[in-house]
Amino acid sequence: MKILKWVSGALAGVVAASVLSNVAAAQPAPDALVKSLASEVTTVLKNDPAILSNAAKLRDLIETRLIPNFNFQHMTQLAMGRNWGKASPDQQTALTREFQTLLVRTYSGALANFRNNTIDYRPLRMQTTDTDVTVKTVVNQANGQGIPIDYSMEKVADGSWKAYDVVVAGVSLVTNYREEFNSVVRDQGVDALIKQLQAKNR
Amino acid sequence: MKIRLLCAATALTASLLTGCASFRNAAPGDPLEPVNRGVHSFNSTFDHYLFKPIAKGYDAAVPNPVKRGVSNVFQNASDVQSVVNDALQLKGQKFADDFGRVIINSTVGIGGIFDVATPMGIERGNEDFGQTLGYWGIGSGPYLVLPFLGPSSARDVVGRYADGKIDPISNLSSVPVRNSLMALRVVDTRVSLFPAEALMAQAALDQYTFLRSAYLQRRQSLVLDGKRPKDE
Repeated sequence: MKILKWVSGALAGVVAASVLSNVAAAQPAPDALVKSLASEVTTVLKNDPAILSNAAKLRDLIETRLIPNFNFQHMTQLAMGRNWGKASPDQQTALTREFQTLLVRTYSGALANFRNNTIDYRPLRMQTTDTDVTVKTVVNQANGQGIPIDYSMEKVADGSWKAYDVVVAGVSLVTNYREEFNSVVRDQGVDALIKQLQAKNR
Repeated sequence: MKIRLLCAATALTASLLTGCASFRNAAPGDPLEPVNRGVHSFNSTFDHYLFKPIAKGYDAAVPNPVKRGVSNVFQNASDVQSVVNDALQLKGQKFADDFGRVIINSTVGIGGIFDVATPMGIERGNEDFGQTLGYWGIGSGPYLVLPFLGPSSARDVVGRYADGKIDPISNLSSVPVRNSLMALRVVDTRVSLFPAEALMAQAALDQYTFLRSAYLQRRQSLVLDGKRPKDE
């Protein structure tokens, strides 16, 4: 049951780190990117707490700022694991779209838990040639418990960094969904999974 | 005690029946999935009709500072458990931190009501006997869903039993006080799960699979103290 606590902290942290500045700096380093996202969301929540009770506004904030900084297609591919190859290109597109919607909705819900939290950033050791790094943060909750949140980031074709997994207190979002997706696909096939995601998002 | 056994037996029987009624294949790493699913749905029903309403009532009736104090007292008790398990894992720094936490919070923090150690920068080690077993190389064994208690594993059931032996609260000599505190601890834990519960309802396609994966990953991460084995 305790697991639920980490999950909520997790998602809250994800939201925090995911809102991106509109001002696109020249391909910021991955840790700088996470930091600017997180500090921006903290500021928004502080200055406009009413946004939390405005579902549309909240979703808009997340959709315009979060999505560009995540590689949803790669996330979906990882969550599908070996089943990705069994999906047709159309199914892959549908899966990515529905998974993205599900994540965005979940994050919107998580934001409400994010008031009064502060975030520490662990120093990032990386080489200039690295294309895959883990940015480590700790979200300090009001109760004194710190939740470690790690972002797996990759350098994509245009040189910018995008997150493809979030690991909250040791729980990987992608791994979690991989088990769920795998059990649906194994028992009922890819189309059933798409239908379940659509039903969830309706 | 008899009543508890009876409840557990009833729950298990019920879960076995429902488990056999469904035709799911067990996932690898979860050989007891049909039984576990039965217990999971028993737990959900129990929670929905009894447990959650009680926790909601408590949450609404009790002022925040009191709730905070209550949580702190229970955290302090689990820090005692950490101290012992830090020692069993030969983790010197964590041992010093947790030992310091217990001493400071039990005295300056008035029996643990105030957590003064955290603002001083002394972090909780958060160790238990299940982790100690993992540290010494014992695998988690099959995933288990326990009646009333939720996700666990063969290893963590043993751990829970051992931790109970050193838990300051379950070893109190006054039976009425002990039982009241143990009941209150359960309610306190349940209240702390409200936000996460709502999130899981939104995030999970299948709550059973979602919880299982999250539980096993989390326990593995705790055993490794946050160091993560490279992704497969």
